[in-house]
Amino acid sequence: MESYSREFKIQKNDIGNAGTVASLTKRELKKRGLTRDFVKTVTIGIYEAEINVVIHSYGGNCVVKIDDDIVDVVFQDIGPGIECIDSALTPGFSTASHYAIENGFGAGMGLPNIQSVSDEMKLTSSKEGTRLHMKFNIDGDCYES
Amino acid sequence: MELKAVLELINAKQFNQECPRCVREINYAFVCDLMSDALMLLKKMPSHIGAHGALVTGLVTNQALRTAEILDLETIIFVRGKTPSQSVIELADEIGITLIGTALTMYRTSGLLFMNNVKSYESVLEEN
Ligand SMILES: Nc1ncnc2c1ncn2[C@@H]1O[C@H](COP(=O)(O)OP(=O)(O)OP(=O)(O)O)[C@@H](O)[C@H]1O
Ligand SMILES: [Mg+2]
Repeated sequence: MESYSREFKIQKNDIGNAGTVASLTKRELKKRGLTRDFVKTVTIGIYEAEINVVIHSYGGNCVVKIDDDIVDVVFQDIGPGIECIDSALTPGFSTASHYAIENGFGAGMGLPNIQSVSDEMKLTSSKEGTRLHMKFNIDGDCYES
Repeated sequence: MELKAVLELINAKQFNQECPRCVREINYAFVCDLMSDALMLLKKMPSHIGAHGALVTGLVTNQALRTAEILDLETIIFVRGKTPSQSVIELADEIGITLIGTALTMYRTSGLLFMNNVKSYESVLEEN
């Protein structure tokens, strides 16, 4: 199928619209005949990353690319960055604000979740911003038979 | 359990009557107030369970809907008398999720469902 590439802007604290990237990507993946289980795996990763940009950063963007054999997603925000990546990756670690917790976030499970659903995840961060790159490999089993 | 019977059992009301793909049966239920916990736990669940599965939550937000959408769960039961806003109901219609609400607490709602053979995550594991 034709390659798909789409960029999304993500606004700080815009919790009402968070999940849009995950939802639209889900639709696209289904259209391409991928299995529900594969679609779920990818959308969980995207959703967690999308929420993190909304609740922890000053805003950013996301680029989703889909080819026949890979889904490649990059989230980039403009700060304030993650102080300690090792802590951030520890299940249960969270600095979520009261606002985020009221909205159902702050379990400290987002990044561990992304790690477990993706085939590859690269997380880099400085005061200028955080970049999260995840890849999901598509093999024959990922397509509906 | 038929949706109608569930509504009676927990004295609940359905918020989106016109939901085009409304579910008829609820056979599984999962409680969550923290979305990532639900996503972490339920991600391995076979997708076909979702059509008859409900998310029981006190969170009346778009994010509860998004979580259900991602997990392919087609019903959300809001507890403690929380009412979703019009925009939440519209999003539910758009993505095909049935929204119901009860004034009962989370514990009582879950207890009643459990006593009426609505199954838990553990049962899903045992069955598969
Ligand atoms: N884009 C980001 N910018 C700044 N800090 C971040 C970002 N993403 C994650 N973090 C930091 O890493 C921590 C752990 O993130 P993680 O997603 O695992 O948990 P959480 O978002 O706090 O809770 P949950 O994802 O369970 O709702 C966050 O609490 C935050 O301190
Ligand atoms: Mg998170």
